[in-house]
Amino acid sequence: MRWVCIVFPQLALDGVLRQRPEPEQPLALLAGPPQRRVLQTVNAAARALGLRPGQSLTAAHALTKAFACVEYDPVEIDRCQQLLAAWAYGFSSQVSVFYPRALLFEIESSLGLFGPWPLLEARLREELTDLGFRHRIVAAPNPAAARVLANAYDSLAVADAEGLQQALGPMPIDRVGIDPQAATALSRMGLRTLAQVQALPRHTLARRFDAGLLRHLDALTGQRPLALDFYQPPDRFDLRIELNFDVQSHQALLFPLRRLTGDLAAFLCGRDSGVQRFALHLEHCDAPDSVITVGLLSAEREPSMLFELARGRLEQVLVAAPVHALRLLAEDLPVFVPQRQDLFDERPQQTLPWAQLRERLRARLGDEAVQGLRFHADHRPECAWLPGSDSRVCPPLSPVQRPGWLLNEPTLLAEQGVQILLGPERIESGWWDGADIRRDYYLVRTRAGQQGWAYRTVGDSAGLWLQGWFA
Amino acid sequence: MMQGYAELHCLSNFSFQRGASSARELFERAKQQGYQALAITDECTLAGIVRAWQAAKEVGLELIVGSEVRLENGPKLVLLVENLQGYQHLCRLITQARRRAEKGQYRLLREDFADPVPGLLVLWLAEEGDTPADGQWLCDTFNQQLWLAIELHCAQDDARRLAQRLQLAASLGLPTVACGDVHMHVRSRRALQDTMTAIRHHLPVAQAGERLHPNGERHLRSLEAIGALYPACLLEASLQIARRCTFDLGQLRYQYPRELVPQGQSAKSWLRALTEEGISQRWPEGASAKTLEQIDNELELISDLGYESYFLTVHDIVRFARSRSILCQGRGSAANSAVCFALGITEIDPSRMNMLFERFLSRERNEPPDIDVDFEHERREEVLQYVFQRYGRRRAALTAVVSSYHGAGAVRDVAKALGLPPDQVNALADCCGRWSDEAPPLERLREGGFDPDSPVLRRVLGLTQQLIGFPRHLSQHPGGFVICEQPLDTLVPVENAAMAERTIIQWDKDDLDAVGLLKVDILALGMLSAIRRCFDLLRRHRHRDLTLATVPSEDPATYAMISRADTIGVFQIESRAQMSMLPRLKPKTFYDLVIEVAIVRPGPIQGGMVHPYLRRRNKEEPETYPSPKLEAVLKRTLGIPLFQEQVMQIAIVAADYTPGEADQLRRSMAAWKRHGGLEPHRQRLRAGMLNNGYSEAFAAQVFEQIKGFGSYGFPESHAASFALLTYASCWLKCHEPAAFACALINSWPMGFYSPDQILQDARRHHLQIRPVDVTASDWDCSLEPIDGQQPAIRMGLRMISGFREDEGRRIEKARQGAGFRDIADLGERARLDSRAQELLADAGALRQLTGHRHQARWDVAGVEKQLGLFAGASSPQEEAVQLPAPSVGEDLYADYASVGTTLGPHPLALLRDQLHARRCRSSQELQAVEHGRNVSVAGLVTGRQRPGTASGVTFVTLEDEFGNINVVVWRDLAERQRQVLVNSRLLKVDGRWEAVGEVRHLIAGRLSDLTPLLAGISVRSRDFR
Repeated sequence: MRWVCIVFPQLALDGVLRQRPEPEQPLALLAGPPQRRVLQTVNAAARALGLRPGQSLTAAHALTKAFACVEYDPVEIDRCQQLLAAWAYGFSSQVSVFYPRALLFEIESSLGLFGPWPLLEARLREELTDLGFRHRIVAAPNPAAARVLANAYDSLAVADAEGLQQALGPMPIDRVGIDPQAATALSRMGLRTLAQVQALPRHTLARRFDAGLLRHLDALTGQRPLALDFYQPPDRFDLRIELNFDVQSHQALLFPLRRLTGDLAAFLCGRDSGVQRFALHLEHCDAPDSVITVGLLSAEREPSMLFELARGRLEQVLVAAPVHALRLLAEDLPVFVPQRQDLFDERPQQTLPWAQLRERLRARLGDEAVQGLRFHADHRPECAWLPGSDSRVCPPLSPVQRPGWLLNEPTLLAEQGVQILLGPERIESGWWDGADIRRDYYLVRTRAGQQGWAYRTVGDSAGLWLQGWFA
Repeated sequence: MMQGYAELHCLSNFSFQRGASSARELFERAKQQGYQALAITDECTLAGIVRAWQAAKEVGLELIVGSEVRLENGPKLVLLVENLQGYQHLCRLITQARRRAEKGQYRLLREDFADPVPGLLVLWLAEEGDTPADGQWLCDTFNQQLWLAIELHCAQDDARRLAQRLQLAASLGLPTVACGDVHMHVRSRRALQDTMTAIRHHLPVAQAGERLHPNGERHLRSLEAIGALYPACLLEASLQIARRCTFDLGQLRYQYPRELVPQGQSAKSWLRALTEEGISQRWPEGASAKTLEQIDNELELISDLGYESYFLTVHDIVRFARSRSILCQGRGSAANSAVCFALGITEIDPSRMNMLFERFLSRERNEPPDIDVDFEHERREEVLQYVFQRYGRRRAALTAVVSSYHGAGAVRDVAKALGLPPDQVNALADCCGRWSDEAPPLERLREGGFDPDSPVLRRVLGLTQQLIGFPRHLSQHPGGFVICEQPLDTLVPVENAAMAERTIIQWDKDDLDAVGLLKVDILALGMLSAIRRCFDLLRRHRHRDLTLATVPSEDPATYAMISRADTIGVFQIESRAQMSMLPRLKPKTFYDLVIEVAIVRPGPIQGGMVHPYLRRRNKEEPETYPSPKLEAVLKRTLGIPLFQEQVMQIAIVAADYTPGEADQLRRSMAAWKRHGGLEPHRQRLRAGMLNNGYSEAFAAQVFEQIKGFGSYGFPESHAASFALLTYASCWLKCHEPAAFACALINSWPMGFYSPDQILQDARRHHLQIRPVDVTASDWDCSLEPIDGQQPAIRMGLRMISGFREDEGRRIEKARQGAGFRDIADLGERARLDSRAQELLADAGALRQLTGHRHQARWDVAGVEKQLGLFAGASSPQEEAVQLPAPSVGEDLYADYASVGTTLGPHPLALLRDQLHARRCRSSQELQAVEHGRNVSVAGLVTGRQRPGTASGVTFVTLEDEFGNINVVVWRDLAERQRQVLVNSRLLKVDGRWEAVGEVRHLIAGRLSDLTPLLAGISVRSRDFR
């Protein structure tokens, strides 16, 4: 058995830098609460400016303002590690992300495939460099030792127990993966290297320290195996159905489509998730695939609904060339939040559930044509409603009368015959975004008997502007 | 013809984060608009009422005192004060509501109105949620004192609302009145008012939604506008109510506590009796005729002004402190009187302070006596609790401090309310000076990467400008007590402070002065703790029984030490700036110390008084006086005004101010940076001085000095009291250095220097320091006698970082029976857990029981497992393990990490060879270097200071094995080498050595960071303040 450990000394930073066009510019990652921002990590250029991890942002700004800041994001780091694990999965089936900011994988069985270790190491390095991650690589007979040696060495390959002891022995006690408290205690006893500790009688250590210390010492020498969980590649749904004959009519595609959506639904059930978006690939013989993207307002997994939606989208597409295969690809698989249904559902058969109707309308009329309406607390009428979906419960509206139909733009109202029913109601608000209004609003009735909502700007007697209609 | 109107519902900015105008703005505007009266009805508070009262008097418009309150789960009311009785009810109600809630909140209950509240008029601000039962309850509770208030603000349904309310009132048989719910004096404050609402709800304005008022109608509207909205009878009702409210704050009468005077005595006779008793103690052989005459004069004056009870109150508190052996010292204009000396309030013997007596209370000034008493900082709480106990919580409370918005806080809140991201909020606040009362200057903003012309930033700046100076919240004064004969809540509402067991009144110091309430300041001072401890040590170890009054006075050796600037650890004159002044000033008398204490202050420095004074003192410049009259005022400071009192005297003597006006000038001086308002004084001073034959230039110079003094002018009366402590601490340091250092460390944290610096100073003075050791150390540092010399200082267990006092005390106690056999014995008898034992091992405190640190740590770890089940059983034999002994460097590191100092070689001694190789001289070698030479030095950075007064200069203190080196870093170098300056712990400086007389420092030319040489030695440094 042979284990490789790759340590990523600046995973968080590299994860950000690899996405930036000029990674050599000074950059700092920030963490901490808003009132006390702290530099989590800095790159070399920032370090040259005197910035240090752990510095407060205020202190850093006192030194220089010439650096960029990016939020330190643990989720992003996790994603980087997953990406790297997926990459390593190409080299070994036993990949572990047991240690943070490091990868561990078994390599003995892969050497047959990828050539001798130096060759493989060179390849790993090359690919990591291309990916944009700084790294240290160490190979050792057991995983714990590989991880520990990677703290101090790069490009070290230890083959046997003797070599291992030579490499491990002189390492400082606080760098060999011992619990920090024990490491501090040991160093306070004047024990500075691993070899010094290993030389002590075991029972004296057992008497003074937690059993974990001896366990770890044994794991380092390989006398005790390390229990590792291995990495599993992520789930996604990708199913393809090859048709027996080329098809060009929608009708003929509906059957395989029903199968695909049905399988998708089953898959979603299995992993207890829903789908928010999926892609339908129509594969043609000698043309690139036609891709139909189906997006939903919320995660769903009801088979007939998925089918209806896909069908709605499919029927809008003009199938340009004969289709010989149909493929469904779903990667956006969020957790499914089921809608509560009554035990005795009394809805008549013909009516559509609201969600299905909504999605069908969207499919038929276009995404932009069907919008949710969100209440926004603002005294300005034009800011009080916003398009958008919001599943939260709308707070109760204030008891003032507001029209159900608000015009896009107010229009000037011909004032003859207009009768003022109520008002003025003065609204002065909105200075903070530069759209301050000062208006007196009136409830009016036009000659035709319609009830409208109109305003006059305060201090401007000119016109009465109609902004909405009451039902 | 327009009808009159009185606004009965109006919030000032003392309804924190609600009212968007100050009382002054409101009164000025209301007067302009032709209102007949204005009520200030801040929400469940009277914190702003004194200011409103002053504004009302100045503007000439009637103030109605009131408060807006919401009953818990009930209607919202405005309570208006009709007469004194009503005022007392209001104070009581607010106190009840505030005291039963957390700081900043209130809970007013229906039960609070179980008894009638005569003298209060009640306006019901009916809301949609109010039930008929509420209405009925209100009618039953307040019957003839209740009105239904109608407030119209151009909402959609104003007409309906009016009709509805009128109908409601009719059905209940209630009179109605018009009100405005005023939140601001003019409509243009709408943005600020919205911003404050957002700040109150911790939301950006854009998300504050319905919490904002829909429009800006809640201002003092014109009478035309009001007339158009309300039926005339509603306006007339407002006038009727206003006419009924005749209460004026001037009717309040404060009474001193009476219990201090025994039966059969008057306050006057009792004060005389106590004073005479004091005289016989202070002057056992009898006081001089001059002193007695002085005392008679003072007593007569006190009696004329009616201040006996004040002195009796202070005397009572001081007497309590003395009975508990708590050291204290009074200061302030009244404190430096012979009466106060006799009463034991101050320790300044009149015979050494002749000069001060004339500036005691003044008949004409009619200012309240001002006595602050400092107590030992660790024991002040005892004194506070004594006051609360003696007078009861209803009669004693702390004064409030109104915290106002400074620049940084205002810009921070405004920027947050306008939705700027946190980083930018911080950056904006950084653009403000720390205590600046102005919005960030434009050039600073540009430096900070902001565009001040962008709309968002213009909004931020505009609002910030308006918000600065607004009160933000009430906090507690550090020790200002108000004590009263009658319950306090008949004078002013009392509320809870943030600290448990503390109550504060709703008025601050200035408010008290205006209303004639007196306060006693009970303050905390670390040096008093240290001096008291030092006296205790001397009594125990040195057979010397000293008190502040009996420390030998005018001791030449002490003054010689002070003139050498050998003053680490003493009171007041220990800072870099003070120490650099001492060799120039060379104090020789007590009064020189008074000057020294006062001169190194922002006031005299910014007023440009320091150098002229020094030149005159050194006879490099003749003493001149613009007139013989001023010579009398300025003679003692050689013609240069150094004290606040002198500035006031100049105004009186040269510009014909009355003493009362001069006191006004003093107040304006303190406040001009915030409010401006010095211009009338400038004109007045100039005119007065020209009139009296002084030159234009002199008048201008005096005015500049006043401005420079600003709020930083230091009163001579305070300087004198401080100087006494300075002298006492210097004398102790000079003659009993071991006890003094010991006491300082035991009182830490206090003062300017760390225990490490104090101990190093002690070693430089050839005192013996002994290490922490469980077989000898107490919790505190202690003295161990050495024949014929200063005793040795035994470091206490308190110096071990992280070690707990109870553990230390247990060791002390356990050791009294018999010495410890071994570690197991120690652990068992002193009941120490493994953590404590490890701390002792790391501190080297177990050396007598086991051996070096490493061995101790190993042994402690072996023992620990025996506790519990096998406690007491001797540990089974285990083979001895050889552990490496710590190196010198390791010991050094461990010493600093554990006890913060080392008794081994100084880190720089270990590095000296390497430093020599870098051509660095030691502080010792520097003494031989002549003025003007270029040299290199290196040292641990123990201090970095950038005084606000020194225009960008940074003072760095470097420490090496021989002493300290003072380095001056000019602004441009500091900016060029900022990183090195800020980050280095071991710093090398190349620069020019300046040695003129006793003043020695290095002007830095280049800085280099040698921190890597230290390889891990941690040395704490005071950072930029």
